[in-house]
Amino acid sequence: MHTRHAYCVCVDQNLSLKYGVLGLLAEEPLHGYEVKNRFEAMLGGTWEVNIGQIYTTLQRLERDGLVRPVGERGDRGKLQYELSESGRNAVETWLGEPDSGPQQLHEDIYVKLLLATRLVNGDLRPLLARQKRAYLQRLRDLNQLEDRARKDGRHDLARLVRGALLHTEADIKWIDELSERSIGGGTGTE
Amino acid sequence: MDRRAFRAEHWRGNGHGMTELVRLTDITKVYQGGVTGALNGVSLTVETGEFTAVMGPSGSGKSTLLNLIAGLDRPTSGNVSVGGTDLGRLSESGLARFRRDRIGFIFQFFHLLPNLTALENVLIPAQLRGRTAGDAAGRKLLSQLGIADIADRYPARLSGGQQQRVAIARALINQPALLLADEPTGALDTSSGEQVMALLAELHDEGQTIVLVTHDAKLATRHAARVISITDGRVVDDVRLETAERKAADVIRVRGEEMMR
Repeated sequence: MHTRHAYCVCVDQNLSLKYGVLGLLAEEPLHGYEVKNRFEAMLGGTWEVNIGQIYTTLQRLERDGLVRPVGERGDRGKLQYELSESGRNAVETWLGEPDSGPQQLHEDIYVKLLLATRLVNGDLRPLLARQKRAYLQRLRDLNQLEDRARKDGRHDLARLVRGALLHTEADIKWIDELSERSIGGGTGTE
Repeated sequence: MDRRAFRAEHWRGNGHGMTELVRLTDITKVYQGGVTGALNGVSLTVETGEFTAVMGPSGSGKSTLLNLIAGLDRPTSGNVSVGGTDLGRLSESGLARFRRDRIGFIFQFFHLLPNLTALENVLIPAQLRGRTAGDAAGRKLLSQLGIADIADRYPARLSGGQQQRVAIARALINQPALLLADEPTGALDTSSGEQVMALLAELHDEGQTIVLVTHDAKLATRHAARVISITDGRVVDDVRLETAERKAADVIRVRGEEMMR
């Protein structure tokens, strides 16, 4: 089960990297390092990719006929890629589709809560209290990040941070709700 | 702002210890016929210059706490002291003077008097104090809060955000040691709410001590570095958040390495 979970996650990650790369090439032809730099700048430092991942992605996209090299290798072996017609269609289709995958609960806290329910006889209050502090700190950090993004004129990034803020707010509401019910023992299956 | 620096000095020089401004000792508050809003053994202190948020579900007692600090209500037992003054020792008129001279209070629904203009509302506390300072100080304050142009309008002709700014000006006119705010953005749209919070943050930067009651964690953590959580009349957490700026990647990961582990 663990392996399967890890596998699913990897597929997902490659998916958004794949379309991220395709989307950037839809603007203009780029070589590998330009793709990496633009991708990281677009994500405002919230996702760092290594150049190897970019090259692997570009090779797969080329194999699938979604991108093609432009001309010969330039100085220091740089090769530019451009989008093919089917690559352009793939980006447009992807942009038009809602993200309808399963809810991602990849944080430790979810597994911790399940295990703590079994291991500490249901008294989750200390765990919940510590978690709430961590979420409050995250909210503060996110608020600062949003302010910085706005100041830098990165309104696209501010929108992304706003999403993270609202998610964290929901996490806090969840913790509050669990705390208020000061959950008893049991796995909740009976 | 110089006047606030002066005020902080004034409080420090009051011989009540370091920079502590508020001290609650073992407060209980019991309401007849119900437990809503009751307090059950609350002790805490607030330092001069702090921006503290008090959070909790409705009925948890957070507004009660604010009212006790403001001298709007008295505890069933325990002790409230503000700026070295033990509120329990004050008569009703002494308490009224305390509120007028040392406390600024803003409410969710503004509580402006409808038959007075914005400026007249702002000047009420100063007039109660018997000051003749008058228009100039009030207009200056309104202008600092960005609403000089609406000074002569009546509250009914103002937006919610404008009304709350007028209420803030009224709260500040007597240069209070402590500004208390009970859900000040609760009746405002997001954008006006953010402007009001930005004003409070500016006041804090200038040295104003602020205690804010809110149920909005986003707002609480945006400007207040200290968050007190109240549930069922008890303080269940009291945390001072780290304020250093962090790298984006340390705050958000968009499908980053973390998931590859």
